[in-house]
Parts: sequence; C-alpha cells; structure tokens
Amino acid sequence: MEDLLERLLSPSWAMLTLLLPLLGAALIGFIGEDEKSSRTIAMVTSVLAFLSAVMLSVQFDVSEPSIQLVQSLTWIPAIGATFSIGVDGISLVLVLLTTLITPLVLWSSWDVTDRPRGYLAAFLALETTVLGVFLATDLLAFYVFFEASLVPMYIIIGIWGGANRRYAAVKFFLYTLLGGLLMLVAILSLYNLTAQGGAGSFSYAAMLNLDIPLETQRWLFAAFFLAFAVKVPIFPVHTWLPDAHTEAPTGGSVFLAAILLKMGTFGLLRYALPLFPDATVEFAPWVLGLAVIGVLYGAIVALMQSDIKKLIAYSSVSHMGFVVLGTFALNEVAVSAAVVQMVNHGLSTGALFLLIGFLYERRHTRQIEDFGGLAKSVPVMAGLWLLVSMSSLALPGLNGFVGEFPILLGTYQAANWAGILAAFGAVLAALYLLWAYQRMFHGPITDDANRDTPDLTRREIAVLTPLLVLIVAIGVYPAPLFDTVEPSVQRVLTEAGFAEVTAAADDSVAPVGAPGDAPDGAPSTADTTTSGE
Amino acid sequence: MLATTTDATGAVPSFAWSTFAPELVLSATVMVLLLLLVANRFRAAVATLCGAITVVVGVLLALPVNGADGDVFLGAVVIALGVAFVGLPVGLGGVPRLIGPWVAGAGTLAALALTGWQITAVLVDEIGATVPVLTAGGSVAFDGIAVMTRLTVLVSTLLVILFSHGYLRERNIARGEFEPLVLLSATGMMLLGAANDAITLFVALEILSISLYILAGLARRDRRSQEAAIKYFVMGAVASAILLYGLALAYVATGTLDLGEMALRLSLAGTNIGVAGLALALVTVGIGFKIAMAPFQLWTPDVYQGAPTNVTAFMAAGTKAAGFAIVLRLYLLAFQPLDDLWLPIITVLAAATMLYGALGAVVQVDLKRILAYSSIAHAGYALIGVVAGGDQGVSATTWYLLTYAVSTLAAFGVVIAAERKRRGEVTLSTLRGLGRSQPVLAWALTIALLSLAGIPPTAGFAGKLEVFRAGVASGFEWLVVIGVLSSVIAAFFYLRIIGAMFLEEPETDEAPLVPDDLNIGISLAAAAIVFLGIQPQLVLDIATRTAQFAQ
Repeated sequence: MEDLLERLLSPSWAMLTLLLPLLGAALIGFIGEDEKSSRTIAMVTSVLAFLSAVMLSVQFDVSEPSIQLVQSLTWIPAIGATFSIGVDGISLVLVLLTTLITPLVLWSSWDVTDRPRGYLAAFLALETTVLGVFLATDLLAFYVFFEASLVPMYIIIGIWGGANRRYAAVKFFLYTLLGGLLMLVAILSLYNLTAQGGAGSFSYAAMLNLDIPLETQRWLFAAFFLAFAVKVPIFPVHTWLPDAHTEAPTGGSVFLAAILLKMGTFGLLRYALPLFPDATVEFAPWVLGLAVIGVLYGAIVALMQSDIKKLIAYSSVSHMGFVVLGTFALNEVAVSAAVVQMVNHGLSTGALFLLIGFLYERRHTRQIEDFGGLAKSVPVMAGLWLLVSMSSLALPGLNGFVGEFPILLGTYQAANWAGILAAFGAVLAALYLLWAYQRMFHGPITDDANRDTPDLTRREIAVLTPLLVLIVAIGVYPAPLFDTVEPSVQRVLTEAGFAEVTAAADDSVAPVGAPGDAPDGAPSTADTTTSGE
Repeated sequence: MLATTTDATGAVPSFAWSTFAPELVLSATVMVLLLLLVANRFRAAVATLCGAITVVVGVLLALPVNGADGDVFLGAVVIALGVAFVGLPVGLGGVPRLIGPWVAGAGTLAALALTGWQITAVLVDEIGATVPVLTAGGSVAFDGIAVMTRLTVLVSTLLVILFSHGYLRERNIARGEFEPLVLLSATGMMLLGAANDAITLFVALEILSISLYILAGLARRDRRSQEAAIKYFVMGAVASAILLYGLALAYVATGTLDLGEMALRLSLAGTNIGVAGLALALVTVGIGFKIAMAPFQLWTPDVYQGAPTNVTAFMAAGTKAAGFAIVLRLYLLAFQPLDDLWLPIITVLAAATMLYGALGAVVQVDLKRILAYSSIAHAGYALIGVVAGGDQGVSATTWYLLTYAVSTLAAFGVVIAAERKRRGEVTLSTLRGLGRSQPVLAWALTIALLSLAGIPPTAGFAGKLEVFRAGVASGFEWLVVIGVLSSVIAAFFYLRIIGAMFLEEPETDEAPLVPDDLNIGISLAAAAIVFLGIQPQLVLDIATRTAQFAQ
C-alpha cells in the first residue's frame, strides 16, 4: 500500500510520456464524439506528453552515462520478458524531439476533413510506439513497439495519402516487416544465448553481457543491420522511402522524416554496435561504403527531381547517410555528432515538409516548374524556406553545420576516403536545395496562380516557430545538446570496446572527458547492468 | 468411454472421473439436446427431468461422499448447468428455436469452467506443482496437451455457437441437429487431445470427423456445400483408413497400443524398424490430411469455401487444435525414438506448408479461400513447434493453436457478418469500404488479420514468438527464417483485405444486418486477440507449466 502511494506520488515521467499519447488515442476512440473535442483531446494529451518529457529531462542526470530512471514491470515471466523502460542521453533527445514534433504535426493538420478522428488517433498511437522504441530496455518490448509502429503509419499513408497511396503504404509495410522479422529471429538467438544454463532473458543488460563468438556475431549483426538499414534507410534498401514520403499526407511525411527514420539510426547505435562489436568492426568499412553511396546517390537523384516532395525525400536518403557515416566511424566525435544530426535532420526536414504541405494546400501541385517568382506573393514563406534550406545544407551558424561538420571530421579520421567522398554530398546538398529554392521563389512569375498565392497564416507560422527557434538555437549554442548525448555515446563505445580506438585518434574537437578512460568506462557498464534489473 | 478399465496390475481400477469432467458435461449436453429435439411438445417435462438429474449429480459431487471430500466448485458448476437445462427451455418456451443455442452454450460454458477447475485444482498437487497423470488404464492422458486442447476447442465451440444461430436461420439451414453435432465433434476433439493409445485416438478422431462431415453438408441445397461434404468425407475416410493401417502396423512392430509404451519398445534394439518406419509413413499421411499439412492439403480451400462459414470456422480452429494435439503425441511421444527418420521429413514439410499456404493465398480473392490458405500456412508454423520438440516445443505448439483459433474465429465471424449482407460469397470487393459502412466489423477483421499476420501486440504475434523461440532454441534457425519469409508474403494478402476495407470507397451504403449474438461473438474474439497479445502470461504460463507428457 505504502509502495503504491509512493509510486503515485513520484510519477515515472518516462512511463507517463510513453502512455499519454496512447491514452489520447483511446479517449478519441471512446469519447471523442466530434472533430472539435477529438482535436482538443489530441492536442492536450500530446502537449502533456511533451511537458512530461521535459520533466523527464529535468529528472535526467546529464553526467551519468548509463541508462537511467529505469522502470521495470512484470510482463511475461514465463519467458523472461519484462516491460522495462529507461533513458540515456541519446534516447532522451529523441524522446524530446518526438514529443515536440507530434503536437506540431497535429496542429498543422487542422484541416484534415476526411475522418479526422482516425487521423488524430493514428498519430497518437504512432507516437506511443515510437517512444516505446526509444525507451524500451527489454528487447522483446523494443521489438513489439518497433513492429507495432508499422500499423498506424500504414493507416496514415494508406487512408490520407496521395493518389498512389496503397502501393506506397504496402511497400513501406512489407519492407520494414521483413527486416523486422529477421531481427526477431536474431533477438531470439540472443535470448537463446542468455538462456545457457538457466532461464533466458530479453533484457538489454543481460544481452550486453554476452560473449558472442565472431561467426554468430556476423549473422546476428546482419539481421539487426538489415532491420535498421531498411528503417534509416540505407542504400540499397531505401526504395520505399521516396514512395512513402511522396504519398503520405503532410503530417505523415513530417513524422516519417523527423522521427521514424531515427528509429533506424537509434537502433544501430543502441543495439547493433554494442551487442556485436567484433562484427561491427569487421563490417564497418562496408557500411561506410554504403553510407557514402547513399549520401552521393541521394544527392544526385534529388538534384534531378521535378517534384519538390520527392526532392526532399531523396535529400533525406542523403542526410541520413551522413548519420550512418558518423555512427560507423566509431569514434566519439563522429558518433556524438551523428546523434545531434538525427535531431537536426528531424528539425530541418520536418520543417521543410511542413512548408511543402502548406504550399501544396494552396496550389495543389508539387511540381517545381509550376512555381516561380513566389517570393513576391509569399515573402514570409520564402524567407522561412530559405532559412530551413540553409539549415539543411549545413550553413555555419545553423544547426545542420554543428552536426555535419564533426561527422565529416570524425569520418575522415576513421576512414579518410569516406570523409572526402561524403563531403561532396554536402556540396551537392547546397546545389539541389538552393537550385530548387531559386526555381520556385525567384525569377519571373509565369503562372497567374503564383501571383495570388496567399502567404502563411498565423497558425502556420506558429507551427513552424518552435522548429525555427531550435534550428537557430542549436546552430548558435550546441553545447547542451552535445553535453546530453556525449556521456551516453561514450558508454556505448566503451561497451563495444571502441573507446580505445578513439583515444588514439583523439583531438581537440572532443570537448568532454577523455574517451576510453578505463575507470570512467568500466563502472558505467556495471551501472547499466544493475539499473536494468 | 464409460467402460471402466483396470490398470496394468489388474487390482485397482483407476478411473479418475475428474480428468474427464469437461467431456462428460459436453456429452450430457448432447444427450439433453437430442432429447429436447425429439421431445417436441413434452419439451418442458424432458428438460425438467434432465435438469433434475443433473442437479442431483451436482449435489452429490458437492457433498462429501464415502469419506472423500466433495468439491463445492465442481458441484456448483454442475448444479448451475442443471438449472440451465430446466430454465432455458422452460423460460424460452415462446421461442423454441433459441433452445438449442442456449443449452449448447450453457453446456460449453460449464465445460469451460470445469477445464479451468482442472487446471487450477486437478492438475496441480498440494504444493502447486503440475502433475500430469494417466488414467483409464493408461489410455487417456491428463496433461498440458489435453488441457490446452480442451481450452482451445471449448473457446472455439462457444464462439461458433454465438456465430451460428442467426446465420443458419438466414441461410435457411437451421436444423436442430446443428448444436448436438457441434458439441459431439467438440467432444471428439477434446478426447483426441487426451488420447494416449491408438484405439482411443482413432475413436476420438472418428467422433470428430463424422460429425464434421455432416456439418460440412449442412446446406443441402447449396452445391458447393455438397461438394465440400463429399470431398471432405471421401478424402477424410481415406485418410482415416491410412492412419488406421499405420497404427495397426505400429502395433505389429511394437506389440502395444499404448503410445508411451510404443516409444519404449521402439527404442529397444531388435525392433523391426522397417515396419515401424512404414507405420510412421502411413500415420504421417493420415494425420497430415487432418491438419492440412503439405502435400496433403489440397482439399482445404474447396472444403473451407463450400462448407457453411460457421462450420468452416469450427473446422479451422477446432480440428487444427485437436489434430496437432495428436501430432505432438505421436511424433514427440510414440515415434520419438524414430526422430532421425521423421524429423528431416517433417521439417521440410513444415517449410513447404508455410510457403504453400502463403503463396497460394496471394492470388485468391474469396475471403474463405484466403483464410483456408492461411490455415495451411499456420499449420506450417505450428509444425515448427513440433520439430523443435521438447517441453518448449509442446507448449509453443499448444499455445500457438489457441492464438490461431481466436484469430481465425474472429476473421470468420466477420466473414459471416459480411456474407449475410450479400447472401453469397465474400470477396475482396464485397468488403470494399467496410471501414466506412461498418467500422466496428472492419476493425474486428483488421485486428484478426493483423493477428494472423503476427503483428504485435496481438495474440498471433505472441503465438509466433513462441514457436519461433522454440525453433531457434532447438537450432532450426533456417526453418524460422522460412517462417519469416512466408509471414511477409502472408502480410501482403492480409494487407490487401485491410486495404479493401479502409482504402476503398463502399459500393453502396447498405449496412449488413449484424445480430447481437454474432456481434458479441466477434467482439469477444477480438478482445481475446488483444488481451492474449498484450498480456499472454496467464495462458502461456499454463501452457509452459503443463508441457511435459503424462507418462
């Protein structure tokens, strides 16, 4: 009884953040009678989830590298699965990003008139599954959330998407399902390894303690990598992304780009690297190669697009390639920057998709050639578009730069060829983004429709504001973000035994601590083990 | 079944009635139903008599007799059933056509309660440990397979009774025999789950099959129903004969009918492995037919499509559970010493079954055919549990069958509802726009299909998780990967159905008539899917605790 009281008085912000959106979805299903009350419920619960995530970050101890605030509930004791959640610096920033983007997405889709209740409920359910992926510290719970996220996204693309939505939705679903199920087999193999001489466990901490032979690691790494590669997406399993992005409704594209793709890179960092360190080292050059191909291929294909939404979709392939590059550079500079770049990509690409959505609502076309000279009729939109493009192409002073530059630096240290080649991707990004901007917003007005296009409304500007503020703020003062992720990145690298590699190649760019510092690293692993129980 | 046998020593008759309780209740209900059917005008009198007898039995059970403690719960269930026998026919005097479903439902509920009682009270000893036992001279086993089969079969029966009444009336094929036949078949299925010797096995199999042959042809004026019944009967009879021949050869090879004893003798040196191998082959053919394992699955789509949909639902859920119960007992107990022989074959057949089911369904448009192919694929998944073997394989298989039963029943329930609207076959285009015209039905079907596809958090995922876990644990990773591939293929056609419901516009605005009993049945099944998916512990725990064979 006292225990219960204590639990009620000190709420687990993580659990609250996780469950609030689901509660919202359920409330809309049961009591949301009309559009208006459903909207209120959706906004209230998603904003509360954000506030709860803010409280979580207040509670979070930045200096502590291990997974914190772990809460573990009995779930399926028969097979050793618990419902346990916790946060480290990496998941914290992604949780904040998710809970920030969701209310904005909901707010931006005020004028969805086709079955709005379902739309709102689907997004809230999606938010819970994504948060579950970031928070889970039990691999079965993680897998359940990972796969469950497919259903609401399938529904969002399938019901509210564009003309070719069914194809896009099914493709998205099947691609991800295949990768996910192979990962399930790998998870079960890991479980099987933990079961040597006793009951098995799905707990992340238990699996980290395994000593897996290299041959096995290769297979398991391949399965995990495939699942996450599809999600990121990494070339050549990226082909679902342009379809899904193009066909999804605006809110869906924003959510997909800003958050769902991060599930892949997060998974690589949380699971693939530390669980299979030897295989990671072995495969890293290949992955770097794929990432570089992704960066260049995405950029070149983006350059050739005539549909602005498709252009941004391919730019996502390119930008997420940078994140993968940073992750598999396996040194602290690059990996921390990769995490920061996940957030940056979420902010800038999210904002770009919002702007495209706003423009599409006005003109019902996404062909770049249909526009031209828009800056005269929609000056505010043009200005914001330029700002966000600059952020996306990594202009110094904006957020993209603070992520992309250290990634290139760290990658150069790890594999100079990859760093050099990827740098061309950054150049191409400037080309396709600015060229598209120029064609759409400058030049003579050729179409009368462009003359009368109304500018952004107050609501639309308000939706964009938080993203723009963060784009500038992170660009000017990135330290808090880096401080949050770096201890956790160090932990991951130490767990995987890569930290020594960094120590050799350490330079002045790494601001925090001495990576690979053994006394610093060893207890952090122990902490994870205890807190995971 | 009522004959009392003595155990091997010949001294003490061992016949633990408590291990039979659910079967006894169902048999009693069948008798009552048949009596009510022939009693016609004297219905009330007959009902009162049957009810009174049942109540007396219940009171005797509850009171301490011969020094043995009475069981209050057991007595209470039987008394309640007796009251229902009297109350329902008398109370429903004005609507005699409702008597059948109500009495059958009461009997099934009582049997379900008794199964629960068995799990909590009979199967465990004083300190709470699970004690599987053999009874009736070793011919009936009382263990996890028996109990889980009962659970699955009874849940299926209950849901099918809820689905059937309105549907049968609407198709004008409502007949008094329906409920007794369903219950009789269910009794056979439950007994098959418990059969521990070749004779009991065969008798139980025939009880269940013959009832189903008749049920498949229930729609006498429908050609496809006739075709289904004939096809099912001819193929089924041949399969039974082959199975019987196989069992006879097994007797020749080992000199025993007892499955546990068979295993002992097969492992001895000097057994005629040639004959035993032939027996194994014939048994595999016979049993492969019953569970729709490739390459003995060809009858499934036609029979599933032609039979009245409620019967199809019952076949898919119940027969599969009972068939796999006996597969587990035959392969993992009786023929366990020959696993060098059958393991490679069954492994390959499992892979073939999964892929055949998944690929076959892709080109289908008729919902019943799609679900038939999906039932084939699911037989393949359950076979992963069989080849995995061991306690884990047993519990995974029985658990998988339960999750499959509720999922497929929910799906068939919605097909029944949609069929009533169109008075004909249900194809993908029939379901077009169901998400708009009948959102509740559409969501129930969506949940069912996601569960069949194995997407978390549904029962189907929990089921697949267990068979995959068992498969990986015994080193059959490649088979599990095949299962994964066929799951992805299967997801494609499940998504097509969901897509037709939600992503397309309805042709007309007419809403199907969905009677309350059907609605309740579908909602119950959908709720069970979600519950078993989110919180599998309750039932999974029973399955894992009781996994070992009664020896």
